[in-house]
Amino acid sequence: MPCRIVSILLVCLPAMAGPAIAAPPNGPPLVMTSSGDHYWQASLSGGPGKDGIPSIDDPNFVPAAQADEWLAAGSRIIGVYRNGEAKAYPQSILVWHEIVNDTVGGDRLSVTYCPLTGTALGFLRGTTEFGVSGRLVNSNLIMYDRDSESHWPQILASAVEGPRKGRSLHQVRVFWTTWDRWRTRYPDTKVLSKEQTGHLRSYRSDPYGGYNPRRGYYAEQSPRAFPVMHESERYPPKREIYGFRTGSVAVAVDRAALAKHSVLRHRGKQADFLVLHDPGLGTAWVYRGEPGELPADEALRDLTFTKGGPRNEALSGLVAAPGFEAMWFAWYAFYPDTVVLDGNAD
Amino acid sequence: MPTDRHRHWLPFSCGIGYAVLYLYAIGDLAPASPAAWDWRLAPVTLERLLDMRAPFRFEPVAILDAGHAVLLLSPINLLLAAVLAGLMTVNIHGALYLRSHPRACRASRLGLAAGTAPALLAGGACCAPSLVLLLGLPGLGAFAGLFGWLVPLSIAALGLSRIRQRRQGAPSLVRCRGRAVCP
Repeated sequence: MPCRIVSILLVCLPAMAGPAIAAPPNGPPLVMTSSGDHYWQASLSGGPGKDGIPSIDDPNFVPAAQADEWLAAGSRIIGVYRNGEAKAYPQSILVWHEIVNDTVGGDRLSVTYCPLTGTALGFLRGTTEFGVSGRLVNSNLIMYDRDSESHWPQILASAVEGPRKGRSLHQVRVFWTTWDRWRTRYPDTKVLSKEQTGHLRSYRSDPYGGYNPRRGYYAEQSPRAFPVMHESERYPPKREIYGFRTGSVAVAVDRAALAKHSVLRHRGKQADFLVLHDPGLGTAWVYRGEPGELPADEALRDLTFTKGGPRNEALSGLVAAPGFEAMWFAWYAFYPDTVVLDGNAD
Repeated sequence: MPTDRHRHWLPFSCGIGYAVLYLYAIGDLAPASPAAWDWRLAPVTLERLLDMRAPFRFEPVAILDAGHAVLLLSPINLLLAAVLAGLMTVNIHGALYLRSHPRACRASRLGLAAGTAPALLAGGACCAPSLVLLLGLPGLGAFAGLFGWLVPLSIAALGLSRIRQRRQGAPSLVRCRGRAVCP
């Protein structure tokens, strides 16, 4: 009899506990130059407490034409295009919220932005939501997921503390570009509404400075505000580079060199990487191939950029590697062994 | 040497200036562009009134777009600004009075110098977060989590400083008008 009761309880208890906790989908492991413990020990309070910078969890959107009334052509936005749906998240809103828990093209995503490191990244979030922990490491936002309370530095995209420590997030491509560039490629885009964020914030002002033109904290030569684990004077601290990383290597792309050469390459030990300049959005696309199997420059002459990205037969068979723009000081602070593609060396 | 008239308008001006600076530093008052006129009110509940963004910084319950300025209205933030500004006003008034009557009053140079400490603390409560961003002081940034606690520390220090001033013979702000010597 007791065995029967235990059996019934074993069957029923999980159902009584409600829906199973769906963790954010695992991404491929990403290079880390220090242990999770080391990053967590180096983290510090940024001032606001947990959720003191509130994420937007019930986002509302307006048509592009309506957003034209308050977004200038050169205003920075974070764009997402997924499964045929385009959405733009103005930097002037995200600077106050840093995370939007949304659904784009049927996929649950967290669109994240850290103003102190100039980084915008998107992640598949499963059924959980991400929030702002109030802590920073290397000036970078540390997110937490709301079901396991694990802590994830945005740039690392890996948990450094909590039950999910050591796991990586599945990163999706988001774009850090200007409103006019985004609207040109995605005229049917929707734009995050500033009227219905669920919070009262002054979206006409930026506590750090401005991007149109760059000033204040965002100016290239301006100093950083928080301690970092590694420092480099190779570039001005706030210079924007395009960075990507795999399980074994981190690569920073000099955006001026990429714009000049249109194509840059990196020959790694385990894979080769092709970096393409997208003049329409002012960003880069990275493809990974087996060593020695990347297409020659001549094969890329007919390259065109569509809503879905670069289109060229020579790219078939290559795997896209997501990257993101970042301030140089922040990229180096996390990846002091980074390769730098500046057009001068392989 | 400050005159009686200066001893009044200077402290009041400093107090008002401090309140404005404090609200600007905590982000409740900000310059904005383009110009806009609007206001919105959130549901005012006790939970929202007491909801803290950071230690001693509270969520707003209304927003006022006033041309090139935006004002976030949080009753408790406004109260803290008023208390700090008021204490700053009476402290400056007392310091000016004691400085102009060092013999009549029981103030020493050391005592007057010590009175600057609360003002520095109050200045930190107001401006430390802005200094971190504007000047780029990573060493100071490491203590960002403690900045909020400068507010109660400043209130306590300014309060104690005012009590000390009164014991040294500084008159009250209201009764002092027209007096030339300590009571």
